[in-house]
Amino acid sequence: MKAGNVYLQDLSRGIINENPVFRLLLGMCPVLGVTAFFINGLGMGIAATAVLIASNVVISALKNYIPSQVRIPCFIVVIATFVTIIEMVLQAFQPDLYEALGVFVPLIVVNCVILGRAEAFASKKPLLRSLVDGIAVGIGFTLALGILALVREVFGQGTILGPDPDSAIQLFGAGFEPMGLFGQPAGAFIALGLLLGVVNIIFKKFNIK
Amino acid sequence: MREILRLALTLTAVAVLSASLLTGVNIVTEPIIIERQEKDYHQSLERFFPDVDHFETEEIDGDQYDIVYDQDGEMLGIMATVETAGYEAGLIYNLAVNDQGEIKGLVIVSHAETPGIGDVITTDEFQEQFTGKGFDDPIEDGEDVDSVSGATLSTGTMIVSVRRTVTTIGENFLDKQIRAFDPTEVADGIYQGSVEGTHGILTVEVEIADGVIERVDVIEQNETEAYFVDSYPKIPERIVEEQRLEVDTQTGATLSAERIVSAVEKALEEAPTVENGGDDTDEGR
Repeated sequence: MKAGNVYLQDLSRGIINENPVFRLLLGMCPVLGVTAFFINGLGMGIAATAVLIASNVVISALKNYIPSQVRIPCFIVVIATFVTIIEMVLQAFQPDLYEALGVFVPLIVVNCVILGRAEAFASKKPLLRSLVDGIAVGIGFTLALGILALVREVFGQGTILGPDPDSAIQLFGAGFEPMGLFGQPAGAFIALGLLLGVVNIIFKKFNIK
Repeated sequence: MREILRLALTLTAVAVLSASLLTGVNIVTEPIIIERQEKDYHQSLERFFPDVDHFETEEIDGDQYDIVYDQDGEMLGIMATVETAGYEAGLIYNLAVNDQGEIKGLVIVSHAETPGIGDVITTDEFQEQFTGKGFDDPIEDGEDVDSVSGATLSTGTMIVSVRRTVTTIGENFLDKQIRAFDPTEVADGIYQGSVEGTHGILTVEVEIADGVIERVDVIEQNETEAYFVDSYPKIPERIVEEQRLEVDTQTGATLSAERIVSAVEKALEEAPTVENGGDDTDEGR
């Protein structure tokens, strides 16, 4: 196998075969918490991706200097540092998104997707592959959040690009009664379950493992 | 030994690196965040006081009170920035009160209440029930404002805090006086009063003898124990010592403490007054 293919493989594995949400069911807390609106879901995905890429790179670069006994606290400190940076940057430059994501931004620290990649991949693999892995898993996570949030927003609110009334597009006429359930956390479970079913059917059909 | 030292050094190095990185980012973002918060504050100020020209800042008990004036130096009202304990972390809000002591509006500046539960405090529906209420209104849960069931802690704390802020503003800036309770007006006797507590009824017994509050006892309660022990017996002691009901309720169990005070208030409200010459009974109504 050619060397270039390793990166391509990492990329497709992170996005499709081992999609953190649809295949591994990791990091469910933000997945269910912030996906009532597409913009929020996407914002959360991008914030988590930024943290994931940064922590993957740094942890991969430091892997030879960190003794295995204290690796988990070191990983957590690295991740927490980047989360705090993201939090401060969001608060300064994207205050609306910061408000909308609320407590879920600091909670990225304990998102098991990120610690999972640090432990399972970045701490063992070379820097460049860890970077690709971070990008891939991040895209996979963002994609899943985006799809789930889109479904929930369309059914639960009848809009896309809400909740800001300036950008929100009403999809249906005035007579449309949104399915409030999909706006609620319980509806997130139901929507996620249905999406998982659809993803499984697609995977079976194309024989992807 | 060498091994342990190596582990400790690694952890220290990682922590130091992290701290210096965060300090750097903070230096860059902090002024922007503060500037934005000030802009937001001015927007709320202009929303509640359209004629605002300038304001003077006073600090009381660590909270900030801006006295708002129009161009002619006429006082329009007060905008308070208050920090109170939220469910998880501190909760900061602005309360705009006009020169009559009436609430013009409420803005939550920052909070960390539970998403989908405690964050109802940010909804218009919850906030608007305060609008127009003022110094002379009870602003009490179940009386003229309502907490939200399922989020009783977040909303209940807000109600108590708004009440306190309105009182502070009224007393300090608007020359209002709380209708002071005078124990000498109450006939001697033992009175009981109850209020709704955390998990059930809270009942107090108050003994008045010769116009003096002799004793306050909590005879029934079902408060959260870890919190409650802090406020009891401090609050009854303070009431007996100061002979008034406006005692400091900041005990670490403020909600329970406030409840003890309101129960005592209830007990004395229902108590008969001393007949000193039948002053207001035969007015011929």
